[in-house]
Amino acid sequence: MIVNPKRIIAICSLLFCLLLGIILLSLSLGAARVGTAHVLRILTYHAIHSGIPAGPEDLIILSVRLPRILLAGLVGAALAVAGCSFQALLRNPLADPYILGVSSGSALGAVSAILVGLSTASFGMPLASFFGAIVTVMLVFHVGKVGRGLHTNTLLLAGVIISAFFSAIIMFLISVAQNEDLSKIVFWLMGDFSFSTYHFILIILPYVLGGIAVLYSYARGFNLIVMGEETAVQLGIDVERLKKIAYVFASLITAAAVSVCGLIGFVGLIIPHAVRMLFGPDHRLLIPASALVGASFLICSDTIARTIAAPMELPVGAVTATFGAPFFIYLLKRRKV
Amino acid sequence: MSRICAKTFFFSLLLVGIALSPNRAVVDEVGRRVVLPEHPHRIISLSPSITEILFSLGLEERIVGVSNHSDFPPQALAKPRVGSYINPSLEQVISLNPDLILASAAGNPREFVERMENLGFSVYTVFPKDFDGILRSISHIAAITGGKHRGAMVVQEMRMRKERILHLTRGRKRPKVFLQIGTSPIVTVGKGSFADDLISLAGGENIAGGERVKYPRYSIEEVLVKAPDIVIITSMDPRADSHMLAKHWNQWKTIPAVKHGRIYVIDSDLIDLPSPRIVDGLEAIAGILHPEIREILRNQ
Repeated sequence: MIVNPKRIIAICSLLFCLLLGIILLSLSLGAARVGTAHVLRILTYHAIHSGIPAGPEDLIILSVRLPRILLAGLVGAALAVAGCSFQALLRNPLADPYILGVSSGSALGAVSAILVGLSTASFGMPLASFFGAIVTVMLVFHVGKVGRGLHTNTLLLAGVIISAFFSAIIMFLISVAQNEDLSKIVFWLMGDFSFSTYHFILIILPYVLGGIAVLYSYARGFNLIVMGEETAVQLGIDVERLKKIAYVFASLITAAAVSVCGLIGFVGLIIPHAVRMLFGPDHRLLIPASALVGASFLICSDTIARTIAAPMELPVGAVTATFGAPFFIYLLKRRKV
Repeated sequence: MSRICAKTFFFSLLLVGIALSPNRAVVDEVGRRVVLPEHPHRIISLSPSITEILFSLGLEERIVGVSNHSDFPPQALAKPRVGSYINPSLEQVISLNPDLILASAAGNPREFVERMENLGFSVYTVFPKDFDGILRSISHIAAITGGKHRGAMVVQEMRMRKERILHLTRGRKRPKVFLQIGTSPIVTVGKGSFADDLISLAGGENIAGGERVKYPRYSIEEVLVKAPDIVIITSMDPRADSHMLAKHWNQWKTIPAVKHGRIYVIDSDLIDLPSPRIVDGLEAIAGILHPEIREILRNQ
């Protein structure tokens, strides 16, 4: 089950090239027609010359599509790694980044922000949703704590219950919301990248990259913990510490990702599974590969969401499940035979 | 040589001319300062009502893009679409290279407007709140697009027709009206909606006029208690729906409107779009509330 470092580097470089290819392809697809060659010209021109983009095409590529694609990639990587960590931490194949209630907390934050009019202030929504997520994480942590340690089943139940409680409040808020607010809420709950800016990227970049780095540094610990907590303890792992760190950092990157784009489902659940089926269960490969595949997958989904019915845009959350589920079923079937 | 010099000279004159092409700054209806070209000729409308206003001002040639559900007048269907009212497409708008974007504060996302401004586009936002506000928005749009004269004509005609309704309904008994815009759940119009304003201009009393929410949900019990004299139901397709919608009310015999068969269906576009057609809506409602003036309205 343990792979050698050369294989890790080889696979990750390959996936990275795939990601770059997908970014380039996505840059040249959209409601407005700009060919790939022209995209490359614009990119190289503006990499050398700084200043304000000139024509409408430059604006579309650099100020609309590029930030959106980069943000989708970052969010995809964050959700995939968070899902991967939760699956290891809870030793549960159904675990995803939202299983412990982060999503409902951030949704409650965002919905409240929309209803009190905070969403018109710049960064009002991301801050409110991040705050909601962090409060939930602390709440679930305290409920799930048994003595000095974290009990995974108690943690799971705590997450589910707190989620249900917050969902009830959200449902109440939706029932009293007015039309204009309602459409905003719906878009947020389904995930939306249409207002991505470089500011958002800069804000979540440290959380996401830092969080992924911390989780990666515990890859060996994850490998042992999935074989059973007792085994891990016998092999000299401080399991309680590892669980707490995994819980906190996986929640943190989820909260950061969700705060800028709303709830995007499915990525955090299937990407770790798909990567595990393709490359094996070693977390030293699983974590970076999930990040790269998660980024590529979400960029593809968002590109489909904004092009398939252009100039209308579909919610990206609908696309991730519609196109991801059949692929996942194919992987499941292939493994059995 | 001199010819090249002359050419260069004229060319630079041309460039200077473009650089100095007159811009001006105005304050839009939400209080933001907007820098606009003197004669915008690539206009994008982000809402169906703004599209109607632009067509009524005779600006068809200068519209380069409209929001998805802009279907009136029928010529609007031929214009390129730029995404829905609540979710316009940034790149579609940019790719049409507009020199003026007209937005509505009532439904276009504020983030979208701010984003377009940051990218250097001129966005003028309208925010009409009642009948007179619609007249002001039409005048404003006319002024910034250089169609003041035509705008004054459109506004003048609408104002005249409104005054006539006020004159004809003055002193008459004001019937209690329930206006229903949604069937399940029942949604009506409250304070601050265009329809509420239309009902009172047309000489009626909106039974939900005290509600502070624009589109409040209403329980059937509340309607039974308030006992409206008239029920008006809005529909996207009044001819097709009227029978079914009216039948729905027949079980509540105690309501005066049901007892006297005064249940009407009206085209929703006439009463909730802040466009020039709102005056048709006003006349339609006045005719429903006061059948005795219907003949006079028809003859003029």
